[in-house]
Amino acid sequence: MTGIAESDKAQLPTHQGTDLAGGLRGAVSDTMAMLWRDSVRTLRQPEMLVFAVVMGVFFLVLFNYVFGGSIGAGAQIDYLQFLVPGVLVITALQGAQQTSLGLAADLSEGVTDRFRSLPMSQVAVIAGRTLADAARNLAGLILVALVAFLMGYRFTSFLGAIAAIALATGVGFAFSWLGAAIAVKVRQPDMVGMLSMFWLFPLMLASTAFAPADSMPGWLQPFAKYQPISVASDAVRELANGSGVDSSLFLTLGWVVALLALFVPMSVALYRKVI
Amino acid sequence: MHSVLQGLWPGRGSRVRPPTSIGAQGAPRRDLPPSGGTYLKANEASQVSDRYMDIVSTNIDTMSTSNSTVIEAQGLYKSFEEIKAVQDLSFAIPAGKVLGLLGPNGAGKTTAVKMLTTLLPIDQGSASIAGFDVAERPEAVRRVIGLAGQSAAVDEKLTPRENLELFSWLYKIPRKERRARIEGLIDRFDMTEFADRPVAKCSGGQRRRLDVVAALVAQPQALFLDEPTTGLDPRSRSELWDAVQALAAEGTAILLTSQYLEEADRLSDHVIVLDKGREVAAGSPEALKKRMGQDVLEIHVSSEDDRSTAVGAVTESAVMTSVAGSQQLDINVEGGAAQSLQLLRRIDDAGVSIVDFQLRRPTLDDVFLALTGAPTSDSGVTPS
Repeated sequence: MTGIAESDKAQLPTHQGTDLAGGLRGAVSDTMAMLWRDSVRTLRQPEMLVFAVVMGVFFLVLFNYVFGGSIGAGAQIDYLQFLVPGVLVITALQGAQQTSLGLAADLSEGVTDRFRSLPMSQVAVIAGRTLADAARNLAGLILVALVAFLMGYRFTSFLGAIAAIALATGVGFAFSWLGAAIAVKVRQPDMVGMLSMFWLFPLMLASTAFAPADSMPGWLQPFAKYQPISVASDAVRELANGSGVDSSLFLTLGWVVALLALFVPMSVALYRKVI
Repeated sequence: MHSVLQGLWPGRGSRVRPPTSIGAQGAPRRDLPPSGGTYLKANEASQVSDRYMDIVSTNIDTMSTSNSTVIEAQGLYKSFEEIKAVQDLSFAIPAGKVLGLLGPNGAGKTTAVKMLTTLLPIDQGSASIAGFDVAERPEAVRRVIGLAGQSAAVDEKLTPRENLELFSWLYKIPRKERRARIEGLIDRFDMTEFADRPVAKCSGGQRRRLDVVAALVAQPQALFLDEPTTGLDPRSRSELWDAVQALAAEGTAILLTSQYLEEADRLSDHVIVLDKGREVAAGSPEALKKRMGQDVLEIHVSSEDDRSTAVGAVTESAVMTSVAGSQQLDINVEGGAAQSLQLLRRIDDAGVSIVDFQLRRPTLDDVFLALTGAPTSDSGVTPS
């Protein structure tokens, strides 16, 4: 009897997966599964994408036709060329807010407990979400760029357009992790919605997305020049309008790395901790 | 296959502190009569069907000291600040057996399930699933359990088929096998009709069925069903019960929580009644009901006059409950059918026409209400 059991033992599947490579492969597979799940959900809920695009178009129309005249005249710039890259970054930021809201709603659903009872990498629950939101953001950005084109905006080159949209998507992805950390910490969707106003609006409005920093009061300028949305707006503007790359691109990439380095481990730790 | 499995289930190891066991091999509960040895013996685990072979085989190393017990809890405690959610809960569930955790809302049922399924840390005590310690090897535990019900739902936006695809992907079932396995489950649990409809648009019964099936994709050795039929219509409930019984028959160890006494009665081999986190009674449903005493003969007559005549006819020989103005008598009978017949005959001889009667065993409702101190039902059963 024992002999048969022993020989059977030799054919055991080796899915114990304690080695690092196996663990990593598992985490990638889980993230792909969650990405698939979140993408299916996004496609079945196109309102989120529509909302993102409508907000982008709203900003384009509002700022260009309402404030554009005075801001453009004051700074002596072609305001639409200035505005569109900023709106791309803002659209990506809005997408990050939706990560926060969506994840909080997701966590309050019973399916999250099932995920936690599965032999899966728990990071995947958040990573799948942020990646799916990045994909949705990319689609939203392309649509907003098309509307901008119809309004008369012109990218200087196709490559520049790709680089600009890619960078905006990257910034949105980094902020998605900030949104995820808040969602995992706070949990209640309505609370998360309120909290997101606190980081979203200062970053959005006290930035160079809609107006040059020169026109702002002196005390605000340091923040308005170096906060992530400003440097991102500047960098996307440079890429889109072909005005040459300067330090803002590197500052933007630095912000992206810093945000990820801070909020990826934080959101994972908070997610693991929660009952 | 038999010999292999028998090799896996060595004799019972000695334990310092035996937990409540459903199996005949466990020490009898201190407050219960011995349960008569009708339960699974160690070698009957060879009835475990082929589909458990893989999982069972992988556990050889860690199983060497255990027997057929799949789910085991020893002295579990859990508190949330001031609230003692679970206190000193112990049990052992062998393969193919169903343990019912019965209790009202807040009794600690879900907390117990969450501790056993790695969702909540255990304050004190220990638990193991298929030989894996829940606190030390949560990853291994998650591979051999399935969780369904109140504390684990499915994705509302996906269809049942997509949900099963997602969960089997997360269980790392090879892509090639997934389709066949999912189709098999859809087929077996009669889900074809709604397999491609988003869950949000499925009926409550369909959703619960998917819930349970989703816990089965990895063919778990231990299945946790947390109030699986709450809010279901009787037909869906009965279908789900059939499915649970079939799974137990195939060798799955099942922990079921319920507020429905009927459900625990019908499905469980062993019931633990919880109240405020504490075990207030344990035993087979039959033993629990027996503990509550006598059967009740319920007689319906057609008028108040008939009722008083009937009461007069049997009043010397029986203890009864009968409300003036009603048309019903409840008589406690110790002698079962023979005594009942005698009582009925006597009432009949007194010229009363009996409209209806039934001989009723005390229900688990009676047991439950008596044990948890809630108002007793009007069946005349008193707390022991």
